[in-house]
This record gives sequence, C-alpha cells and structure tokens, in this order.
Amino acid sequence: MRISVLILILGMGLVTFLPRFLPMAFLTRWAIPERVKMGLGYIPISILSAIVFPILFFNVEGEIEIQAHALLSAIPIFIFAWKVKSLWGSVILGMLVYWGLGFFF
Amino acid sequence: MLNINPFREGVKAALPIVLGYLPVGMAFGLLARQSGLTPIEAGSMSLLVYAGASQFLAIDMISKSISWFPIVVTTFFINLRHLLMSSALSLHFKEYGLRTLTFLSAQLTDESFAVAMSNPSKISNRPSYLFGLQITSQIGWIVGSVSGALFGKWVDHKEYGIPFALSSLFICLLVLQINSIHHLWVMVIAGIASVFFKWVFPGNWYLLLTALFASGIGITIEMVMRDQK
Repeated sequence: MRISVLILILGMGLVTFLPRFLPMAFLTRWAIPERVKMGLGYIPISILSAIVFPILFFNVEGEIEIQAHALLSAIPIFIFAWKVKSLWGSVILGMLVYWGLGFFF
Repeated sequence: MLNINPFREGVKAALPIVLGYLPVGMAFGLLARQSGLTPIEAGSMSLLVYAGASQFLAIDMISKSISWFPIVVTTFFINLRHLLMSSALSLHFKEYGLRTLTFLSAQLTDESFAVAMSNPSKISNRPSYLFGLQITSQIGWIVGSVSGALFGKWVDHKEYGIPFALSSLFICLLVLQINSIHHLWVMVIAGIASVFFKWVFPGNWYLLLTALFASGIGITIEMVMRDQK
C-alpha cells in the first residue's frame, strides 16, 4: 500500500472513530439528566427521517426536485413496513417495486 | 466475554443490512478502483474507516487530486452525526470496560444503529448482540468493497432496483420507530426540517441540524403533553 493512501486512511479512520467512541466512553459513566435522555430517545426517528425524506425530494446533484421514481416506490414500502414490520420483506419489495417502476421512468 | 446466543441473534439481525451493503460496497470498490486505488487500499479503507458517505466522497476527492488533509477534515464533519447516535446507544450500556465500548463504538453506522434501535430490549446490556450485528454488517461492507474493486466492471449497479435497497431498509427502520403519536409528529417535523436544512446548508449539516432540532421538538411535545395530564 502507498504511504500517502495509508496516511489518508488512518486520518479518516481516526476522525471517524472519535465521534463514535467519545459519547459511548463518557456518557456510560455519567448520570444523564432526564430531559437529555428524553431527547436522545428521539434521535433515531429524527436521523432516520433526515435520511429518508431528502432521498425523495433531492436529485443526485443535491438540487431540490421531486423524485417521482423514488417517491412512488417509497409509498408501498411505507405501507408494507407499517403492516408487516419486516426488514427483509421491505428491502426485497423495495428493490422489486423500484426496478418495476424503472420501466416507466 | 462473547455470549454466543445474543451474538447469533445479532448476526441474523444484520442480514438485511448485508443485503444492502454488498451492492453499495461493490459500487464503492469499483469507483475506488477507477480513481486509482488498489483493491487492498479500497478494502483497508472499508476496514479502518467504515463510513459509506465519507468513503464515496474521499474517492471523488482523490480522483480530483485533492490532498489527504481536506479529505480528512471533510470526513470529520460528515461523521459528526455519530456523536448523537453514540450518545443514544450509551444509555443501553452501563458499566462496561473501555475495551468492550471501543469495539462496539468503532463499528457504529447509520444502518446498524437504526437496526439496533428498532428493538432496544435486544441491545440493552447485551454487547454480544450489538457486536454480532455490527461485525456482520462490516464484513458485508468489506466483502462488497473488495469484490467491487476486483470484479466490479462486470456488474451493473444501477439495475434490478439495487439503488433503492438501502433506501427501502431506511424506510422500514423509520416506520419501526413510530411507536407513539409523539414520534409521528417528530417524524413529520424532522422530514420537513431535513428538506429545508439540506436546501439551505451545504454538505451534510442537515443531518446533525435535523437531529438536534427534531429531538428538541420531541422533548417539547412530551413536556407539554405531560403538563396537560
């Protein structure tokens, strides 16, 4: 491996590791105020919403534009996930629906 | 010490993630190869960095001959969102040694975090479960990256709905998080806020901003509801 690439990878690895590690290392040892705990309980749904919704409203260049193909595929997955609650099923159905709709886009 | 039963459960829980990581990892490996990295270098990045968005960005910057320092700084900012996920996870692991916590936190990703949080009772004080979930996911990512770098040019990543695999996973994980009317409201607000923040701010800031803003709204809703009772 080239030394320049190794430096790059180690640097990226370190700055990625620290935000993953520090809260885990310290917060497990401190008493957390009730209100902060309450807030942390909403982190998963907030981050997941922030991942999912922009997929539906931004194109690959990052410009705002309704993504009809993704939006139409997302609706049946949303309903399926709500009724069946299966990760496997959602991933496979999602790929099938997106692929099928691909013939119209 | 590793407990085999929760470890196995974790491995099983990771399989949908692996299904999504393999093709995306392959796409990464292929692009890494095209930007001049060797399969070993691509694989090492997936082993030691293990963060999808910043790896893709690094490849893009490498192909534009940008030096290592700006790439590392950008990586840092993209992955700051893990601060919040790590904080949320920390509530479930009390009194564990630093070595266990190092292993658990080093492999934290959006996907494994979301799967872990879809059933918090499974992870609470069960490091072996989380470890099984995360190591399996990362193996999927590394295998995908290396095989993409080696054989990627013979596979079409844009076919068969592959671009939508991880999106579907995230949609299902989002739905699994809606377990009260409060959460539904937080989702609606976070959805609107994320689109607004992404539109207004450059890069990946919208993730961090949305998470802080929407969880703040969550606290407010919960406090107001509690006062009304």
